[in-house]
Amino acid sequence: MKKLVIPFLFSMLLLQTACNKEKRYIYQVQEQELYQSANEKQTLKTTTQFISIAYSDLFGTTITNSELTKFDVALQAFGDKAVLQDMIVKSLLNRSGVQIPSDNAMRADVAAFVEGTYLRIYNRKPNEFEAWKMKDLIEKNADITVKMVYYSLMTSEEYRYY
Amino acid sequence: MKRKEFIKKGALAAAGSFVVPYILPSGRLFAATGSRKANHVVFCLFAGGVRNIESMQKAEGNLMPNMLTGTESISPDIAPGMTALPSPASTKLQSLGTLYKDFRYATGPTGHYNGHTTAITGKYTNESIQIKQPPKYPTVFEYYRKHNSPSKSALNAWWVSDSLGPYPYLNYSSYSGYGAAYGGNMIQPMTIFNPQTNSVIANPVSLSASDAQKCDLLRQFADGQFKAPSEALSNGIVNTPADREHLQTFLRTMISDVAAGVYNNPWGVNMNNDMLNVFFGTKIIQEFKPELMVINMQGIDIGHFEFTKYVNNIRLADFALYKLWQAIQSTPGMANDTILIVAPEHGRNLQPNSVIDIYGRYAIDHTNDEMSRKIFCLIAGPPGVVKQGQVFNNPYGESVDIVPTIAHILGFDNEMPLGLTDGRVLTEAFN
Repeated sequence: MKKLVIPFLFSMLLLQTACNKEKRYIYQVQEQELYQSANEKQTLKTTTQFISIAYSDLFGTTITNSELTKFDVALQAFGDKAVLQDMIVKSLLNRSGVQIPSDNAMRADVAAFVEGTYLRIYNRKPNEFEAWKMKDLIEKNADITVKMVYYSLMTSEEYRYY
Repeated sequence: MKRKEFIKKGALAAAGSFVVPYILPSGRLFAATGSRKANHVVFCLFAGGVRNIESMQKAEGNLMPNMLTGTESISPDIAPGMTALPSPASTKLQSLGTLYKDFRYATGPTGHYNGHTTAITGKYTNESIQIKQPPKYPTVFEYYRKHNSPSKSALNAWWVSDSLGPYPYLNYSSYSGYGAAYGGNMIQPMTIFNPQTNSVIANPVSLSASDAQKCDLLRQFADGQFKAPSEALSNGIVNTPADREHLQTFLRTMISDVAAGVYNNPWGVNMNNDMLNVFFGTKIIQEFKPELMVINMQGIDIGHFEFTKYVNNIRLADFALYKLWQAIQSTPGMANDTILIVAPEHGRNLQPNSVIDIYGRYAIDHTNDEMSRKIFCLIAGPPGVVKQGQVFNNPYGESVDIVPTIAHILGFDNEMPLGLTDGRVLTEAFN
């Protein structure tokens, strides 16, 4: 099975809150196999996993502990995680240093862009139907940008799972 | 009449007698649940452990002059430790409702988490603190969202928590048949509404309405290809897409306003975290007009270490409570249609500990003695609904009664399953 070096999550540290001890996980880079299909994803990412992976997917590097804590604390403070995750992804996509293809590159080879994006975001190849449909949607909508595609996939249900 | 025709007509008549009462003039198929006392409830957990000796018995003076009648002055030896506050309200909250001066947190550890969990679930609990675990029994938010008819969106149910740790997890339970699908929105304003969070969500990708539509198209396609595993952990409560937009707009505006200093000292006094939590709670009231809000304060827990600050923080919490009441009464849709319930989660010990403050006063813990089970409860609301100026001086009512009482106010108490809560409706507070 083909392997990619992608950001993934590990090791842990203990965080002390006022009166209680709580386990927290800090994630680093490790090899992981590609998924063969979306259905293999059975586990919901924790808030720290979500942020670590999103950061790595967009910047190709591991998020620092201090920054991870900042994001994680914000996520802990609001009940509907999807609301803040959406806001965070929108913000990350607009940061300098984000490593995503240009709109011109996407338009030059939409099929390659779709496959590359699925590999990067979903850690799997699109199936035949997904590859065709996504390509079709992008080609039929000239105003769809790379950021819009990344934003949509990173706020999708599948991206919340591993 | 032929037998067959008789049976047919009889059956139609019988069916009609069942169906007709459920077709309402409004066109709704089913009647709403029982009649409501009011359309909004705000439950303020005046928490952190308040001893009745200082609150109801006024041993150090009337520390709650916005809630309680009386002009007893603060004990002179600790008076210099008190924060200057504006003159108290001329109409005391006590006179606008029913006051239980000897309410009880009857069983279970007198810990903040247990006290909160009991007040929010209506069920006594011996559970130790559950980090990142929801409570085992349904919360008042779930009862409301599951049993109120017609069902209401999560924007109508809010848990405004003054701290992180285990408290954010009190917005829904792990109880079978309830859970995140019926939970309330949870917010911990002091964390969300600060400049640090502003940096987390700053400078977002800007999407026009048309862009957003295209993104929805892409996402909907992607979602259609993925089936979330049913056994997966909950990702928290879920708002509708439209409500999520509303929430994002609200959060973004608040966060940026806070970063810009718009809410620096909004009440014109030196605000502690309790006051800030309540202030941000009032912004939620103004924005969403929730039917059910639970909000807490815990600054009073300084009582473990500094008695005089404990006393002062009771005063500050009383002031915040008054501001909460003012915000309710100045919010169209909630004014004169809201019942405010106030109660600490538990009390404090009769005997002090050995920690002494600069005024020579000993601090007090809360370790399950009889005094730490004595609390108070105030139910205030419109005169036609809540008995005004009524006071129960003797032991009457328990903290587990609050959830059934909220259900009674909002008219769904008869829909709740029997035996899930330990309490009763505090009917004596209502006309």
